[in-house]
Amino acid sequence: MAIDMNVFQQFAGQMAQLGSMAQPTDYPDEERVERAKAVFRKSIGAEQAGDLEACVKCGLCAEACHFRVSTGDPKYTPARKMELMKRFYQREMGPFRWLYRLATRDITARDLEDWQELVYDSCTTCGRCGMICPMGINIAGIVTTTRQALAEAGLVPADLRAVQQEQGAYGTVFGAGPDTVRQAVEQMRTRGHDVPLDKEKADYLVLTSVVDMMLFTDQLEATIKIFNRLGLDWTFRTDGFEGANFGLLAGVADVQKQASMKVIETAIAIGAKAVIVPECGHAYPALRWSGAEIYGKPLPFDVYVISEFLDLQLQAGKLKLKSDNSDIKVTFHDPCKHGRYSGILDEPRAVIKALGVDFRELPSHGMMNWCCGGGAGVFVIGSAAPLRQAAFGIKYDEVNKTGADKVLMACGSCRLNFLKGAQDNNWDKEIVSLVALVGDNLE
Amino acid sequence: MIGDFIDGPLWYFSAAVFVIGVAWRLFAILRLRGRKKVLSKPRNTTGGGALATILRRFVPYREFATVSRGRVIAGYVFHLGLFALLFFAAPHMEFIRDRITGFGWTPLPYWGFIVASQLAFFGLLLLIIYRLMNPVTRLLSDAGDYVSSILVFVVMLTGCMALLQASEALRLLHLFLAEVLLIYFPFSALMHTFTFVTSRGFSGAVFYRRGVNY
Repeated sequence: MAIDMNVFQQFAGQMAQLGSMAQPTDYPDEERVERAKAVFRKSIGAEQAGDLEACVKCGLCAEACHFRVSTGDPKYTPARKMELMKRFYQREMGPFRWLYRLATRDITARDLEDWQELVYDSCTTCGRCGMICPMGINIAGIVTTTRQALAEAGLVPADLRAVQQEQGAYGTVFGAGPDTVRQAVEQMRTRGHDVPLDKEKADYLVLTSVVDMMLFTDQLEATIKIFNRLGLDWTFRTDGFEGANFGLLAGVADVQKQASMKVIETAIAIGAKAVIVPECGHAYPALRWSGAEIYGKPLPFDVYVISEFLDLQLQAGKLKLKSDNSDIKVTFHDPCKHGRYSGILDEPRAVIKALGVDFRELPSHGMMNWCCGGGAGVFVIGSAAPLRQAAFGIKYDEVNKTGADKVLMACGSCRLNFLKGAQDNNWDKEIVSLVALVGDNLE
Repeated sequence: MIGDFIDGPLWYFSAAVFVIGVAWRLFAILRLRGRKKVLSKPRNTTGGGALATILRRFVPYREFATVSRGRVIAGYVFHLGLFALLFFAAPHMEFIRDRITGFGWTPLPYWGFIVASQLAFFGLLLLIIYRLMNPVTRLLSDAGDYVSSILVFVVMLTGCMALLQASEALRLLHLFLAEVLLIYFPFSALMHTFTFVTSRGFSGAVFYRRGVNY
């Protein structure tokens, strides 16, 4: 089932309008600063204090950042993005705050505005900078907290804010609600698939996303085919279907909690043994690594991202794939939030191997994979378009070096960004979903 | 009289500031432990992630070897040279034996001292030049970073001069500058001597439980 590029164009058009739909979040300057500081004060724990205290400003992180490398502009150096939070820590929480208050100036509303571009437009929190840091500093974690502080100060970029506000107010993303799920399920049923919807009890709650339902229907269809072939007790639910969490991406804690709780409550209500996260980068860590903290106790179910789940089924001998695909030359782009952030590196490769394709690794892959430039909500931020395009150039060159015809994706946002990059560059590479390729090769 | 002050009260004062300051700064990090409850089910349940990262980050990942080669080599040359000088230069060993530990060890021969000091100077100069010339490090650096580098440089310089010329005035100047460095140390980025353990260790532990060999 090929994706409809007209729908892709509609998506791109919709995104261009997002900014005008955002509700204003204006506060007086002093209040902005106080709100941001309150987030820093609450959020900085030993891990982040340790990170903030350790930077020696060697500048190595500049060599690992796709935005800094592709633009050559030193202002995008990851270590610089930590400076706002570091100044707060030194002046208000650090052991020598009395001294730093004399020697440094306080955070201003202007600083917060300046940092908007640094932590939203020019950072996908991909974490590659952390891999080169000799101090092992988790710079992406610092940026995430700084995003939360800016969000509290009302400084989420308008485009991203519009989607976050929609998810907070209506529980929908790009207008996709329960009716969208019903329509998508109906469409799949007309294609001959048995699709369980709103079962009261099921072992597996399978999530999807607005992008899968409206654009990447090949991913949706493949997921359905795989679960049916495996003979599992599974369901989609209209009251807990969306994997995307724009609260997390924007840094708005209550929207993140609301979106996560919707899924958690649904999974508990149906007695799910596991929740399956679709091909979506941030959706996995949102539930896997933050879900229990949001719920307040360990989750009573497992969380798997689809590539991880496919590998488990392969290992158990339950998933059988056709492996006569040696004529297909593919490479694989690791989603940062699955690989570098969550350690899911071998699993998708095991699936790719089982498909028997001619697999060629990117020059930088796995833990060292370059981000495509569209993650962490950057894909929807209009002002970030030039930065995204520049950063994508790295990926473009790397993929070309492999000689592959197809680029396998395990994340919808990455796929969107690759499609845009392919379109902008008249690229002849096919941007393919891993789960869709598996769905096409079921034995 | 000023010599007695540098040899006596100022030494004890600077050593106390150093020890208390370093301890206080590390305590300030550790006291924030446990602010965030971790409830998610780990992918790795065995321990050792913190230690593994503390050790692993002494060497850059292969993928970054080319881009980091110059700075890593300069850094190692400087740090190893400095370490050798600090703990194995004969006057330092005697100072530590007489004033701190009560026991000594085999010091570097004179030629070893010369080699170590050349390496330390060469590495430090390279790092300072890089900091000044590279647009990224120039943007990141503040006055404190330059003060740290210059202080270390002049302490090393006066140390070499004192040893070569066997002058009491130079020895006192060297000791005085070393005492200034000790007082400055806990307030500066020189604290990375200790904080590399906390940053690497915490990150290593956090990522390891997610299944990532950070």
